[in-house]
Amino acid sequence: MASSSPQPPSSAGAAAEAMAEAGEQGREEPAAATREEPAPAASSPSGDGAEAAEDAAVAAEGDGGEAGGAGEPKAEALDGEVRSAEAEAVDGEDPSLQPSAAKKVKLELKERKEKKHKVDEDEIQKMQILVSSFSEEQLNRYEMYRRSAFPKAAIKRLIQSITGTSVSQNVVIAMSGISKVFVGEVVEEALDVCEKWGELPPLQPKHMREAVRRLKSRGQIPNSKYKKIIFH
Amino acid sequence: MADEEEDAPVSGAGRGAAGGPGRGWVRGRVRVRCMMYGFGDDQNPYTESVDILEDLVIEFITEMTHKAMSIGRQGRVQVEDIVFLIRKDPRKFARVKDLLTMNEELKRARKAFDEANYGS
Repeated sequence: MASSSPQPPSSAGAAAEAMAEAGEQGREEPAAATREEPAPAASSPSGDGAEAAEDAAVAAEGDGGEAGGAGEPKAEALDGEVRSAEAEAVDGEDPSLQPSAAKKVKLELKERKEKKHKVDEDEIQKMQILVSSFSEEQLNRYEMYRRSAFPKAAIKRLIQSITGTSVSQNVVIAMSGISKVFVGEVVEEALDVCEKWGELPPLQPKHMREAVRRLKSRGQIPNSKYKKIIFH
Repeated sequence: MADEEEDAPVSGAGRGAAGGPGRGWVRGRVRVRCMMYGFGDDQNPYTESVDILEDLVIEFITEMTHKAMSIGRQGRVQVEDIVFLIRKDPRKFARVKDLLTMNEELKRARKAFDEANYGS
């Protein structure tokens, strides 16, 4: 893979260089992943699409970022438009950097993305090993953890009843995702409280309320009813 | 998974009628119950705890919606506003980014799949 092959047409048709190798590796992954995805995506109803996507796209997790990065032009040439594109890609970098320095920075960025890609793959492998060694009860719990979700229709209705206008699908997806994380935070905190008080699950309302009080003092629960006085 | 309330229909129905928009909306106590089990609670969590959690979630969504309406483009809730609001919370921020990325990938994959199907 050390030979420099021309970039696929999806990039800006730029010349290939040392990053072609990384680019190739990055290219193959998204293609393979997207071929995998249609099967599970087609077989699951759109309501559970997010969950099925999780299973299918856990393997492709790192590839979203990789595909995005690979799409950036990787030219060596000093055309005006390429330089401005480079400046875009290297966020916040001084566009008047020497071309060699800019190239080095881009190389670093690419390496970092590669490392992240490998780390994601390691993580996926570790997860697979972990899940394969679960007991039945743990498997049950893990399945509930992955599969449970708020009904999108209800969330959409709730948001629309507050705004009065319609909201896009992305908003509903984001909001239901955040709500699930929120539930997780409260339950975890409540379990901490329960353990600290020397009691056992199932969680009782007093644990939940104490958990909410703690989260509020940490600022993790939004509360716009009272104005915060900064200096008492 | 059925969305009907399976437990304590008396209290559920009574509350559903008199509770205002909060109770009747996010029906499906079963969902929250499963979620609590998934996050570490007992397999049968207390109904009162489930109720508390449901109320919390509704309040959370309401607060976020109000905040999102007040920033960015007023009167509308957009994804960018939500992302801005949770930028300080690393877990939620990462989760939203992942979800939206996966959604985009799914859409792309479905589109490619459909086109391939349509072509052949």
